Amino acid sequence: MRCVSVLLGLALSPPFLFPAEAPHVFTPAQKNYWFFQPVKKSPVPAVRNKAWVKTPIDAFILAKLEENKLQPNSRADKLTLLRRVTVDMTGLPPTQEEIQQFLSDYSPNAWEKVVDRLLASPAYGERWGRHWLDVARYADSNGFKADETRPNVWRYRDYVIKAFNDDKPYDRFVKEQIAGDELYPGNTEALTAMGFNRHWIDETNAPDLFERRHQTLDDMTTVTGVAFLGMTFGCAKCHDHKFDPILTKDYYRLQSFFANTAFGDGPLPLSDPEDKRKYEEQYSAWDAKTKDIRAEMEKIMAPILEDRKKHSATVMTDEVQAVVAKDAAQRTPLEQQVYHIAETRFGGLGDPVKALKGDNAKRYAELKAQLATFDYIKPAPLPEGQFMTDLNATAPPTYILRGGSRFAPGDEVQPGFLSILDRSDAKITPPQGVNSTGRRSSLAAWLTDPSNPLPVRVMVNRIWHYHFGRGIVATPGDFGRMGAKPTHPELLDYLANYFVDNGWSIKKVHRLILLSNAYQEASDYQPKIAEADPDNKLLWRYPRRRMEAEAVRDSMLATAGLLNPQPGGPGVYPPVPPGLITELSATAVAGGWRTEKDPAQSDRRSVYIFVRRNLPYPLLQEFDTANTFESCDYRKNTVTAPQSLDLLNNELVLDWARSLAGRVFNDSGLKPEAQVDRAFHLAYGRGASAEEQKIAEDFLAKQMPIMAQRLAGDDKSKPPLPANLPAGTDPARAAAFVDLCHMLLDSNEFLYIN
Amino acid sequence: MLDKLKHHWNVTNRREFFTQAGSGLAAIALAAMLDQDGYAASVDPLAPKKPHVTPRAKSIIWCFMEGAPSHVDLFDPKPALEKYSGQPVPPSYHPETLQSAFGTTHNGLYPTRHKFKQYGESGLWVSDWLPNIAEHMDEIAVLRSCTADGVNHVGAVCQMNTGEILAGRPSMGAWVTYGLGSANQNLPTFVVMQDDKEILGGVQNYSSGFLPATYQGTLFRKGDTPILNLRPPTGMTDAQERNKLEFLQAINDRFGRDKQDDTELDARTRSYELAYRMQSSAPEAVDLSSESEATKKLYGLDDPATSVYGTNLLMARRLVERGVRFVECYSGSGSRWDAHSSLEANHTENCKSADKPVAGLLTDLKARGMLKDTLVVWGGEFGRTPFVQGSPNDEKAGRDHNPWGFTIWMAGGGVKGGQAIGTTDEIGLRAVDEPHHVHDIHASILYLLGLDHLRTTYMHNGRAERPTGTAGALIDKLWA
Repeated sequence: MRCVSVLLGLALSPPFLFPAEAPHVFTPAQKNYWFFQPVKKSPVPAVRNKAWVKTPIDAFILAKLEENKLQPNSRADKLTLLRRVTVDMTGLPPTQEEIQQFLSDYSPNAWEKVVDRLLASPAYGERWGRHWLDVARYADSNGFKADETRPNVWRYRDYVIKAFNDDKPYDRFVKEQIAGDELYPGNTEALTAMGFNRHWIDETNAPDLFERRHQTLDDMTTVTGVAFLGMTFGCAKCHDHKFDPILTKDYYRLQSFFANTAFGDGPLPLSDPEDKRKYEEQYSAWDAKTKDIRAEMEKIMAPILEDRKKHSATVMTDEVQAVVAKDAAQRTPLEQQVYHIAETRFGGLGDPVKALKGDNAKRYAELKAQLATFDYIKPAPLPEGQFMTDLNATAPPTYILRGGSRFAPGDEVQPGFLSILDRSDAKITPPQGVNSTGRRSSLAAWLTDPSNPLPVRVMVNRIWHYHFGRGIVATPGDFGRMGAKPTHPELLDYLANYFVDNGWSIKKVHRLILLSNAYQEASDYQPKIAEADPDNKLLWRYPRRRMEAEAVRDSMLATAGLLNPQPGGPGVYPPVPPGLITELSATAVAGGWRTEKDPAQSDRRSVYIFVRRNLPYPLLQEFDTANTFESCDYRKNTVTAPQSLDLLNNELVLDWARSLAGRVFNDSGLKPEAQVDRAFHLAYGRGASAEEQKIAEDFLAKQMPIMAQRLAGDDKSKPPLPANLPAGTDPARAAAFVDLCHMLLDSNEFLYIN
Repeated sequence: MLDKLKHHWNVTNRREFFTQAGSGLAAIALAAMLDQDGYAASVDPLAPKKPHVTPRAKSIIWCFMEGAPSHVDLFDPKPALEKYSGQPVPPSYHPETLQSAFGTTHNGLYPTRHKFKQYGESGLWVSDWLPNIAEHMDEIAVLRSCTADGVNHVGAVCQMNTGEILAGRPSMGAWVTYGLGSANQNLPTFVVMQDDKEILGGVQNYSSGFLPATYQGTLFRKGDTPILNLRPPTGMTDAQERNKLEFLQAINDRFGRDKQDDTELDARTRSYELAYRMQSSAPEAVDLSSESEATKKLYGLDDPATSVYGTNLLMARRLVERGVRFVECYSGSGSRWDAHSSLEANHTENCKSADKPVAGLLTDLKARGMLKDTLVVWGGEFGRTPFVQGSPNDEKAGRDHNPWGFTIWMAGGGVKGGQAIGTTDEIGLRAVDEPHHVHDIHASILYLLGLDHLRTTYMHNGRAERPTGTAGALIDKLWA
């Protein structure tokens, strides 16, 4: 930041210090960098072991292995595979019925049937939509001190889930999120999609609204660069990128597409034309009848609002106050932007009606009563969304900012793409019938142009990354020189072509991957092969890994038989550990955490848990959920004591164990062996071995006397017992069994995907 | 320039790759490499790591006066304010270039109402608001020329913790945990305590940012359960819990029998043991019943005015004794030091609540021989303006925010006491001699703890990120 203040001084004489630059000369190495080359039509390589090739993917994987004289692992057993693919595709373990069905299905297309069933499951969107929400830095609150709730932003989350379930073509998905407002005016889904760039962290209390806008633009530029282009544009904010050919100029050219963006929060159009027609008819009837009443009300209120506006502005900088004081017609496009943000803060100081005095107050109340008499013809309010749109058709100029500081503007730039790919300014066509610049439509077209080699590779790599825990490029947000090199560049291009050729269908890419032998390899370790390829870069085995945060919680709920599959709607607030809320005075002001009264709501899928930036849900955060302050490319994977404390001591987890024990007793009756076997079935999808039966019975034998003692004690020390135990159940055994189930949920076999 | 270059270097090292790669798979591969580097061959991200330079301090206790104490009323006497009393800031100070939080730059200058005196052999000046800390001036290095970027609290508190006004970067405690690992895994390595409301900005101030979540600070809750989920479920006995953990170990061992290569599985089994030990060691660490009455009195636990902050600082000493590296204790958390109005009442109350506990901490650390390797830092997120906010003549007079020049002090942990470093101008408005930005303070604190801020890097989005962004210079005078 200090360099900024130095630059402040330098900025006094920009022409001297920053003469107009000659066009940047890129080196041949930069121009030849693989990522900037067109996506190649990679021929499927020839391999010796042709029998192993189930889909073309296998040929690419096997060719490399054979080249290195390595063997892929054999196919994993059916149960492992079913668990792997079910968690991968839905974030949930397979049900007992699904296991039964697959294990007893010996038809040649048994696996294909499973894959197709999972691709059609609504749980798929909840799983893969969450992956996209990571990329989109999704949150239900503003961040910063106040961290106010964004009450309608969840509609974007539901949009994403639905888009994945509908297999919305990815090019359309991108277009809707970048320029849905311009390209598909009046389309509810497309406008909801514009929530993508509404997830910036926002300091609503900032006195300098020029700076606040500036930071918002930086957020959109950086996220767009990482999410769609796989390039760390953020590095080029202050200087040309040091490793990749991203000029500072390119950073601001990209930013310029967003230069006129503003809060577009408001009602969403009705998607059904008949509903829409009805609504408009009703509304205009109400509007006509109440026009005069409302005009008079507004006239009475105007001075109060004007007064408040002045008062609200006093906490803002002098520069902003001058903008607020200015006549609307005199404001420059940039000032209009700032005024637009300032307006969101005019509403403070409580109900303005209470500020009315004497006759005004009386008359206002009369008018209000009159207005209410027309409520019966007023249509129900439209659903509201939170999204980003352009403020109007004229964008403020964008300058190259030296050192990233808005106080040090250099040359003005026009919207444009990466100079190394295309130096010219982007062609902008203002859209018909929409008060918008048309800039983002141009960006969306470039991001979905099949001849643009960047976005398509980035997306297929993301898909691969989530399936295998590591992308073909291991850094999904950085395809530049500082990122990882592709392990299978030809395969990446093959997938990219396949994706475009198949109508940008994400599900078709899933299918190609899931049906491959590469996906079905066992995770077994082979010491000899590991010597040659310790990182498994060539994919000689399937990489074992812990489930992600949401899958951990959702799998536990599902195994306990408690998971509430209700989809969509505003975020829910499951209980948090004691001691957390009481100290959150500041966030409490902004709505805090209103723990659900209905346990069924607490037991919804994790993707529906309210995402408060300053209070990430503890269990999810401990298991490395996405950082919501920036686009999240991949989840970290840590092993920590707080995770274990949570799984051991959290009363919720214990309650899930109690519920699981109840399932076991209800299913298996009183026979001890059958009980243990059932518990293993429910937790792991398989029965207990003789050795495990013994481990379990030894444990129960030690635990039962302790439980018997606790059961005989006072109410406070009584252990939790499953509800509705079958008659004749020994309560001490049932209580000990809760502990057994608890440990199964906490165990590695439960938490890891093989 | 070196700074600039370092900012871009791909200085990723094996240890760092290891932490980022994360997966059990990468872990095995790296175990061998780590051995070569002399690092523990485990997947444990908290394993102790080799410092870059010989540490002068093992631990740090940061006494964070949240809301910003007024340097011109506490450690940085400005007699010239008497001369200019009531007059606007002279044009030679260019007040027109300042954007104050509440637009107060046109207000009259406001001399302190407090008496300054020189203390100790060093003769450093302290006002009568802090009589107890004053007795330790020969241990203290007063940095009078600090600067920060944020005019607002949320940004400035965030910067004092993370280096940046915008939330999202790792806090210093997270960097230290990442860089040095843990000295006692039965306790968190980075602990935060607040005395009142939530710190402005909350978790962003002790978050691990883009570092793995393992490195984030743990907010200690009040009472005997300082850590979330620390207490076993109601009624659970120790024997019952031991049985459960043995059962878990047995089924994990069986599962892992043919997966010996995967050290992460073993690490997870061990993490339950660690959690179990934390259940007893954390409450023990915050249990003050074994402390003598004299010690409690030293921290002001016998007086309601000082007992809240005193309790936190005494717990901080106990934590540091047990190997916790980074303890941050907020005084007036939720911005209570923020004296826009009624400076007199505000600072009288806040100084009273923190002065004796902080002095007690210094005395106690010294008596136990711990001061030499425990760095104590005192300060807020910025200082306060020499010009008044409100009318100078009534009790409501206050001061606005001042990030352009303010005081922070350090003691112990290899710091040379009894010196003042840098100066502000004649009116205490801006740092003039040897100005030190927050980044310099961070670089120096890390150095005292054994970390070179240029070599403490983590690859994030293609850039070797470090705690001081693109800046930071050591304040050598602190230890030279």
